[in-house]
Amino acid sequence: MNTSRHFGTALQYAFLGLAAFLSIFPFFWMLVSASNTSIDIIGGKTSFGAAFRTNVVNFFTQVDVPLVFWNSTKVAVLATVLTIVVSSLAGYGFEMFKSKARERVYSLVLLTLMIPFGALMIPLFLMMAKTGLINTHIAIMLPTIASAFIIFYFRQSTKAFPTELRDAAKVDGLKEWQIFFYIYMPVMRSTYAAAFVIVFMTNWNNYLWPLIVLQSNETKTITLVVSSLASAYYPDYGVVMIGTILATLPTLFVFFVMQRQFVQGMLGSVK
Amino acid sequence: MTDRIHKSAIEVRDVSKVFGAGDSAFKALDHVSVDIRENEFFTLLGPSGCGKTTLLRMIAGFTYPTDGEIRLYGQNIAALPPFKRPVNTVFQNYALFPHMTVGENIAFGLEMLDRPKAEISARVEEMLALVKMGHLKDRKTAQISGGQQQRVALARALAPQPKVLLLDEPLSALDYKLRKDMQIELKRLQTETGITFIFVTHDQEEALTMSDRIAVMSAGKILQIGGPRDIYDRPAERFVAEFIGETNFLKADVATVADGKADVVLPGGTRVCARLAEGFVPHGKVTVVTRPEHAAIVANPDGAHLRGKLSSVVYVGTDTHFRVALESGESFCVRRQNSLEQGAAFAEGDMVGVVLETGAAQVLKD
Repeated sequence: MNTSRHFGTALQYAFLGLAAFLSIFPFFWMLVSASNTSIDIIGGKTSFGAAFRTNVVNFFTQVDVPLVFWNSTKVAVLATVLTIVVSSLAGYGFEMFKSKARERVYSLVLLTLMIPFGALMIPLFLMMAKTGLINTHIAIMLPTIASAFIIFYFRQSTKAFPTELRDAAKVDGLKEWQIFFYIYMPVMRSTYAAAFVIVFMTNWNNYLWPLIVLQSNETKTITLVVSSLASAYYPDYGVVMIGTILATLPTLFVFFVMQRQFVQGMLGSVK
Repeated sequence: MTDRIHKSAIEVRDVSKVFGAGDSAFKALDHVSVDIRENEFFTLLGPSGCGKTTLLRMIAGFTYPTDGEIRLYGQNIAALPPFKRPVNTVFQNYALFPHMTVGENIAFGLEMLDRPKAEISARVEEMLALVKMGHLKDRKTAQISGGQQQRVALARALAPQPKVLLLDEPLSALDYKLRKDMQIELKRLQTETGITFIFVTHDQEEALTMSDRIAVMSAGKILQIGGPRDIYDRPAERFVAEFIGETNFLKADVATVADGKADVVLPGGTRVCARLAEGFVPHGKVTVVTRPEHAAIVANPDGAHLRGKLSSVVYVGTDTHFRVALESGESFCVRRQNSLEQGAAFAEGDMVGVVLETGAAQVLKD
């Protein structure tokens, strides 16, 4: 009995250790590579080198860092705020307002989760081309604003929002939009924080769609720039890793700042 | 109190409410009519699902009747949204806004009414003093206890000076001691403010303690309306008798009926005079109801109204409960209040008699 329990515990630790290694190793390798030259990296060197400063200088020489970060921040923050406002309104509406068509419309929204982005790419590109939005940041943001997943997430979270709070607000004379902004949003702030982390990460790391619609260097985001460095004829992997570190920092920052709210949001805002 | 109760605050006229349609339709209220008087503490009492909260939500304006009308001080309020009714609600789980402080919660409704800041501030202080919560004004509602949240909910609901306050089982989340304290507190607030309170509960003791009048509900209907004593001592129907306190039911035969009373023959052949509900004329076999504390155990069965063998004697601190297996096969409970000078001692298996107090028996309608 004792032996089998110890064996089970050992297996658990082995599995968790492997999972931890697989999660942490890419970060470790990214940091190590950022301090080495391209030749060292290709040679498989796994210890810190002395080329960090050179790689940083080369990256800042090759890339207009402030512009690229401004582009990425603008797109990620605006798209995240719009996505959260629109999708939370939809999630709230789907849960709070009863109608015969509600569940059918909601099912249709959820069905869109099953359509791969590859199938939408060409029609979306044609729409953007026809509306003259190609090579603009609006073209990146528009398709992400109504997110079926975030609508689903908010509807599920809204189920825990006490209807008595809504009734109490109605007694106080609040209109539905006031209830949403003055009561629902503050009460559900953990849900919003969790959604913010998820949507911000998705938008910051968005690669394929910006690659298709952004054509000039002035509009490109950090993911596209790092990717273009990696696909150069003689890629300098040390410089690429500096770009990767810089591209990772904002998402790490957002996650750690909102970590507590994120966990609360995942567990449910309303206790 | 009686001189203050003079006119109707709320008139509910033949109101029905059906949820759903077709096969899944559910009738939550079935032709309910009731007048609730100004300044009274009125309680809707009944088990879960009897329709009491539905009726309360209709008065508040959160849901609308399928049929019938509700009048507030003579005005049909069917088309009025909740905030235009001179009514406020204390919810079961208080519904305090968790992102606001105690003071902000109380002020919020007044701010929405665009009252001047000075007036709001004065009113908040007044309400906090009324519920004795002035020292916790700046606390978040999550940082105060359940009983304190209850007081804040009351203060918030009373702040806009409603004519009618609706209370939807507001004491159900509190522990026993706090509930007892809040019962007294609620009654004090109602008396001090002079506002009509409509209280919803499934707790009969709560209803009897606080109410001026009680409406007992079951399956979407009001079965009986009356003062606590009327409801307890003179239940008109079996459900009311069963729901409020412990009761003895005896089968009997009606001998004569006159002047709102009936002579009935109890099991064993004894005749007693039993009260009748207003306008009720019984005949043939009926059910007679008596409360356990309205009867006494006697050692000599001769001359008693009922006879039988003592099947159990249970001491419960304040009272002793005697259960008598009657010769007719029915069971009868007698409750005797304990005192230091105990009367005759009884033991299980003794042959005893049961004597009913004058007026203790009531004929049920069913």
